Amino acid sequence: MSRMMKTLVLLVLTCLVITACGGGNNNGNSGSGSETNSGSNSGNENTAGSGNGDSGEVKNEKLIVYTNSNSDGRGEWWIEQAKQAGFDIEIVGAGGADLTNRLIAEKNNPIADVVFGLNNIFYENLKKEGVLTEYVPSWAPEVWENLNDPEGYYHALVKQAIMIGYNEAEYTPETAPKSWQDLYTNEAFKGKYEAPTNLTRATSRLVVAGILMPYIDENGDLGISEEGWNELKKLYDNGQPMVEGEDLYANMAAGKIGIGTVVSGEKFKREAEYGVKVGVVGPEGGVPMVVEHIAIVNGTKKLDTAQRFVEWFGSAEMQGKFAAEFSAMPVIPEAADQAPDHIKQLFGNMKAQPLNWSFIAEHIDLWAEKIELQIIN
Amino acid sequence: MNVQTLKNKFGSINYGQLLLFVLIAWFIIAFLIFPNLNVYQEIFFKNGSFSLDAVEKLLSSKRAMNSLTNSFILAVSLMITVNVVGIALVLLTEYFDIKGAKILKLGFFTTLLYHGVVVASSYKFAYGENGLVTNVLANLFPSMDRGWFHGYWAVLFVMTFACTSNHILFLGNAIRKVDYQTVEAARGMGAGAFYILWRVVLPVLKPTIFALTILTFLTGLGAMSAPLILGGPEFQTIAPMILTFSKSQTSKDLAALLALVLGLATIILLTIMIQFEKRGNYMSVSKVKSALVKQKINNKFANVVVHIIGYVLFLIYITPVALILLFSFTDAKSISTSTITWDSFTLENYARLFTSMSALKPYLVSVLYAAAGSIGVVALALYASRILHKYKNSKLALALEYSLLIPWILPSTLIAIGLVMAFNIPRLIVGNTVLTGTHWIVILGYVIIHIPFTMRMVKASFFSLDNNLEDAARNMGARPFYTFRRVLLPIVLPSTLAVLALNFIKILDDYDLTVFLYHPVYQTLGVVIKNSTDAEAGIIARAMTLVYSVVLMVMSGITMYFVYGRGSKEK
Repeated sequence: MSRMMKTLVLLVLTCLVITACGGGNNNGNSGSGSETNSGSNSGNENTAGSGNGDSGEVKNEKLIVYTNSNSDGRGEWWIEQAKQAGFDIEIVGAGGADLTNRLIAEKNNPIADVVFGLNNIFYENLKKEGVLTEYVPSWAPEVWENLNDPEGYYHALVKQAIMIGYNEAEYTPETAPKSWQDLYTNEAFKGKYEAPTNLTRATSRLVVAGILMPYIDENGDLGISEEGWNELKKLYDNGQPMVEGEDLYANMAAGKIGIGTVVSGEKFKREAEYGVKVGVVGPEGGVPMVVEHIAIVNGTKKLDTAQRFVEWFGSAEMQGKFAAEFSAMPVIPEAADQAPDHIKQLFGNMKAQPLNWSFIAEHIDLWAEKIELQIIN
Repeated sequence: MNVQTLKNKFGSINYGQLLLFVLIAWFIIAFLIFPNLNVYQEIFFKNGSFSLDAVEKLLSSKRAMNSLTNSFILAVSLMITVNVVGIALVLLTEYFDIKGAKILKLGFFTTLLYHGVVVASSYKFAYGENGLVTNVLANLFPSMDRGWFHGYWAVLFVMTFACTSNHILFLGNAIRKVDYQTVEAARGMGAGAFYILWRVVLPVLKPTIFALTILTFLTGLGAMSAPLILGGPEFQTIAPMILTFSKSQTSKDLAALLALVLGLATIILLTIMIQFEKRGNYMSVSKVKSALVKQKINNKFANVVVHIIGYVLFLIYITPVALILLFSFTDAKSISTSTITWDSFTLENYARLFTSMSALKPYLVSVLYAAAGSIGVVALALYASRILHKYKNSKLALALEYSLLIPWILPSTLIAIGLVMAFNIPRLIVGNTVLTGTHWIVILGYVIIHIPFTMRMVKASFFSLDNNLEDAARNMGARPFYTFRRVLLPIVLPSTLAVLALNFIKILDDYDLTVFLYHPVYQTLGVVIKNSTDAEAGIIARAMTLVYSVVLMVMSGITMYFVYGRGSKEK
């Protein structure tokens, strides 16, 4: 048995030694990273020129990038592109809520340098908590109006439309719902659609925000009139709850459900994957358009590199390339031209619903709480 | 007066021991009390004043109250069902003479290989709408409802069979320690088989059963994936709500409050159990060891029935695992619909595994973290249990015992956030350094959340010790550490190693805690897996979930073999 003890002690020691070495490695990594980067300067010349032209030598330290849009191979794609441009990045991928929590918890001593992919609501919270630093990249003026943060903390990259989608095998544009209101009031759709019950997902929250928006009322509960809450109650009462581990497209393909919330960015890929055609609804009042942004984390020790990275990342060239690869819809006209035709067409038919983002950002967590506690049965 | 008694108490302690006392006190204050108190302050004193809005909000929510009730119903039901099944499993494999017991044992051990979402999903492969068992039943009874497997009974069924890992390990260890001479003696005095089981064998198992009952209760209260996936709208529990609220910016108070309710309920149960534990004097270690001999069941009819029960249980256990393995070789479409045809088989998933997970680093990082975390927590628990055992009736020991339960009263998300918030500026209590972003905080996180479980099991094995052994060693002049190492440790080692292995396996693919703590350069297996199997990440991710499950099963299997399989063979 004493042999067992010795093995244990040995194991602990090995662990300690290895972790200690690991720590050393870290520095080694960032060191070698900067070496390779100084070799491939040419990639950044243009950005360095416009950003901080005086620096003769560009040194790119390893950047820690937080994002919620790294799935479906997007993370790997960006790492590869960054490498070609001379950036050494490490991506931390997690859900928007997790990332926001982590960023706020770390704010006194941040690990992240850059955060991209979150929507306005999350960025508003981060800004309020002092997590972001102000930086206006040179491409900011090219972005369509009213999308960037007017105070210059975060800037827009791509937009997503949050829409009602229906299985084309079950519904035609005529028989499909005309709007969210039609969906939850019309008896024909009762129990036939998926209600956004999983409120940890940003998509579900945006659907809620879109429905509540017309009912803003200072005197109402959490800024929403009684009528607004009743509307939302109908949405949840008449729909089917989401089930963990099940997927809307898979359920559509299996004929289990006909209607649900779809996001423009993933629609086309999922259709091909599950072999189902999904039609989308473009209501009169427009659909919630959510914009993904990029920002620099306040307190980063690699501010120079982070700024160069943001310059490069949001440029029309890179966003155009990204759009062509992943069916995204950039917010810079020049980049948007490079988006695939099907996505351009989709956005051509959709109108953006006017949303008061700061109001939503201020209230959405409380709304979600109320929905969890009072609205869902 | 107090000082005097303290002096007397500590007079017998040598300086090395005192240092250890100080260390453990420091650990508790620095990592259990300080960060979590921080969280509570942040949450409940949001605007500078204490508010109890959260209580009102929860009480007025029908849904929250229903979910909470369901959690308690589930916890109480599981306390009964898991104990019944768990004890049956142990008797079948260790006590009765059953033909093919070794194979049965392998089947019952499969719950150690997987946990979390995978378990519920794998039962869905068997009992879901297109599941294997459902198909068989539908052929027999064409009029049956294919969507039969949901709600309370489905959740209870899955969790009953999925939560017997601890019984198999710890109760198995305990029953092997039964002194066969006592069984023989009872028989000699004319006791029947059932009477022996009830009055001779069971009392020895009691400390372990108490500990397992508490853990099962807690598992039931915290049930998450099984109700989410199989509960349907009619049987939802509180854990998912806690998770949602703990991630929100404004609702953390609700999450903390709900976790507090669950934690306190567990602690109350624990307190009751501790009273039982104190009342009884359980001696399970025989001074002259006489190994348990498997009991033949003499009644022919009973023998057949017991064999049938054994093999039916075996089938229940083995089916989900077999289906995971089978489906990991099929394309995404058959996985999402649970249907298999000859064309659905493919090696593509595994091919993808070797391209996407070829990097060795995440495995290495996870294995090292898991080793450091599980060894750390076991060392802490061993030492703490030793103190509790030695100073049974002191107030300090009681304080120690209860402060080690703190991780029960907060959801793990909040523990992680609390750690990050507390240690992202230099703190005197940890030597004026920043811990956030270091390896230490990750390991600490793992240690902290596994303390209560580890404590329960290690303590249970300590309390089944015979005090005479220690006295004997001391009389022969053994120093305290020597006694601990050469006399006590060997006896508690089997259970300790089992805890070690279980913690190791759980840390290996942890995501919920890791996501807040890990340094980006050192991605763990859990993070990598989550990133490539995210529910919103499309069809390939779904197929990969199963492949990763198989990978983890292999890793868990290897762990169990090394730590446990070999150990039990030695005997």
